[in-house]
Amino acid sequence: MKVHRLVSTLIACGLLCASTLASAYDADWKRGRIYYRSVCTSCHAAQAIGAINPSSMSKAEWNAYLQKDKHAKGKDSVKQYFSKSYRASIRSQNKAADKFADLPDDELFEDVKLFLLKGAKDGDAPASCG
Amino acid sequence: MKISHLGLLAGLLFAGIVHAADAPAPTKLNTTADHSKFKELQREFGSGSEVTKACLTCHTEAALQIHRTKHWTWELLNPATQQRLGKKNVINNYCLSAGTNLGSCATCHVGYGWTDASFDFKSQENVDCLICHDTSGNYKKLPNGGLPPVKDTESPPGSGKIVKAIDLAKIAQKVGKTSRDTCGACHFFGGGGDGVKHGEMDSSLASPDKEVDVHMDATGLDFTCSTCHKAPAHDVAGSRYIPTGKDTEGAHIRGKVDNSNPATCQSCHGQAPHKAGAQPAKLNQHADKVACQTCHIPQFARGGVATKMNWDWSTAGKLSPEGKPLLNKDAKGHVIYDSRKGDFVVAENVTPEYAWFNGEVTYTLLGDKVDKADGITLINALGGSAADGRSLIWPMKVMRGTQPYDPVNKTLVMPHLSGNDDTAYWTNFNWEKAIATGMKAANAPFSGQVDFLKTEMYWPITHMVAPKEKAVGCNECHTRGGRLDKIEGIYIPGRDAHQLLDLIGWLAAGGTLAGVMLHALVRIVRRKN
Amino acid sequence: MERIYIFTRFERFWHWAQALLIIAMLVTGFEIHGTYKLFGFEKAGQVHIYAAWTLITLWVFAIFWHFTTGEWRQYLPSFKKIDLVIRHYAWGIFQGEPHPFKVTRARKHNPLQAFAYLGVKILINPLIWISGLAYLYYNELEAAGVALNLGTIALLHTAGAFMMLCFLIAHVYLITTGHTVTAHLKAMISGWEEGDAEHGKQAS
Repeated sequence: MKVHRLVSTLIACGLLCASTLASAYDADWKRGRIYYRSVCTSCHAAQAIGAINPSSMSKAEWNAYLQKDKHAKGKDSVKQYFSKSYRASIRSQNKAADKFADLPDDELFEDVKLFLLKGAKDGDAPASCG
Repeated sequence: MKISHLGLLAGLLFAGIVHAADAPAPTKLNTTADHSKFKELQREFGSGSEVTKACLTCHTEAALQIHRTKHWTWELLNPATQQRLGKKNVINNYCLSAGTNLGSCATCHVGYGWTDASFDFKSQENVDCLICHDTSGNYKKLPNGGLPPVKDTESPPGSGKIVKAIDLAKIAQKVGKTSRDTCGACHFFGGGGDGVKHGEMDSSLASPDKEVDVHMDATGLDFTCSTCHKAPAHDVAGSRYIPTGKDTEGAHIRGKVDNSNPATCQSCHGQAPHKAGAQPAKLNQHADKVACQTCHIPQFARGGVATKMNWDWSTAGKLSPEGKPLLNKDAKGHVIYDSRKGDFVVAENVTPEYAWFNGEVTYTLLGDKVDKADGITLINALGGSAADGRSLIWPMKVMRGTQPYDPVNKTLVMPHLSGNDDTAYWTNFNWEKAIATGMKAANAPFSGQVDFLKTEMYWPITHMVAPKEKAVGCNECHTRGGRLDKIEGIYIPGRDAHQLLDLIGWLAAGGTLAGVMLHALVRIVRRKN
Repeated sequence: MERIYIFTRFERFWHWAQALLIIAMLVTGFEIHGTYKLFGFEKAGQVHIYAAWTLITLWVFAIFWHFTTGEWRQYLPSFKKIDLVIRHYAWGIFQGEPHPFKVTRARKHNPLQAFAYLGVKILINPLIWISGLAYLYYNELEAAGVALNLGTIALLHTAGAFMMLCFLIAHVYLITTGHTVTAHLKAMISGWEEGDAEHGKQAS
């Protein structure tokens, strides 16, 4: 009985932590869209690496990809492309990087993640970028 | 054992509380109301109307305001021409008419449940708030009533395609100002597809860059539709039925009483916007003959989405050998033949055509006399000429088409296209039956005979403003065979000349040259001797 | 061989600057007219207007000079010996006859020349300048209540331009009718006219 109560309390704490983390930032998918189009797809389109429109993967696949954090077959990390330092380095040629230069890294990351999950193959509004 | 368990429990609880304490939701600065905090919206919603009811508990005037606008009524009377216009009444050369096709067309109505004449236009709960005010991007409306899918729905019925349910509570809790996405959910897809109708409004404007539109540039000015198309009391400014052909007022400024259209260029840029460059004064002076759009929108459909330029309904109805409807595409994947609709011509980066326009539009409505023998029937004739003092040279998308008409009564027709019945053209492919149903519903006579005639419809171009460096160059108009070649009634240097004077002038110059050369020749010859 | 100093420094400067500007205006003017494409309408228009203002400025100086030096008298019409001059160009020149007109400081242009230049100054120039300024300030005039037809202004301006073109062709050729082919050209460069001793003598 005691173990049962302990486990349920632990679960309650875990959920409490998780929910406060989740509700702390209201991700802006439209900002994610602008950044993704301007920074990610512009490069991919120029180098013909392959389509990276949101609907090319499912939500689970996107989540896994972002979790694994491996970009270009492991050559570098995905997250670094959302970092302030990266934005600072490209802001003179990239208007989105310039516009969002001062956003905290994790906020921008959440914005793009929400856009990708929303536009995923099985997302609420699959986005194929025309 | 007990104590260590208790300790672990206490530690976790403590961690949980500390965590919760140091991460409160930050204060929103772009709104005074976080709708996710309202109890009225923290419940399950079984329909769109239930959401509207909840909205109205605070926004008490909103639905009644909507009722006064043409987004709701789909009707308006043009006081100048006394024509009854609006989607309810107008015929075009795209899907022809909304009439008896509300199952498809009214998916874009700002209401719930309009499928036929029994719709209650007085009901406040029938107003759809979410179509315009959704910010999540997940709101959807299904055909045959424009209701949101509250559970997974097969749409179209019998197709096997499932539209997933949307969470109305989540969507309601995230409402906000209108955006290009929400206006565009309908206005980008008019005519049955992305970019079909206007040519200068398609999904590329959801998140465009500066090259496509300088005002709507997502990383720049990021104007929403309502930045220009102001909507006091939900009445959106700007209309294709009663446009402003020539705005002679100055810029709208605070404190100045101004009832003129806030969606014109001049309402922000004033009458003398050119300041830099070689001849700013000369460019400003163009504005009394040339609309801003003529120079500043060199092509439309520039965002990568093609627009329809020609729609030939007369070839519709061809089925595959198995009797199935066809859908043929071109190399780029654009549909160019659809059994339900006929042949299309699509294009991107289209150079507009130009015409004098003073803002008066006269529609060929149901009952007006038309005849194939006229050659081309104008769906909407644009008023204006060089001499009336109220016209400017405007850029147009000219939509050309071939559509059905009644050759005996000599009128255009409103066919019944969509519906789950045995006369809808899109499922039965019989014009006589489809037109009979449609005309009966419109209380209009139909002889039973069907023929096709050519039509043109004019769509003034005003969106997809290009950066000023990409404005139309002087050479493109001040030349023969240029953009303004068909414009009459005005002298354009570089294009026009007095033929007789030129002839006399060149003959005189040539003659002088010949004369002096002859004189010289004789002198040379005489000198030798 | 006589040498007379007939073209002062200012006059030579004025002549060549004017020539350059007029040629520039003809070339750009006919491009604006739509006859050909060279610099593009915008560039041609710009050059045409800058040249116009420069020429107006030059003229202000030239008119001032004409009056203060008294040189305006050179253009007073005269019929003295005009029949002989006409005969020379139409016939005598082919016979190798000397020019019947003797150039002096007081009268450096022969009567026909004087008439031609006078025609340019009081006929072609006013036509082209007034129509040109009306063309440039067409909108301002309309705003001030003087509504003119742009097509008519353009007609007058083009007519003036054609006249100027004909004059230019004839003028450049007639330069070569001095006692040597380059005599007049040299005069307009150095200022000194090499007079033929036989000038002024009647043709026999």
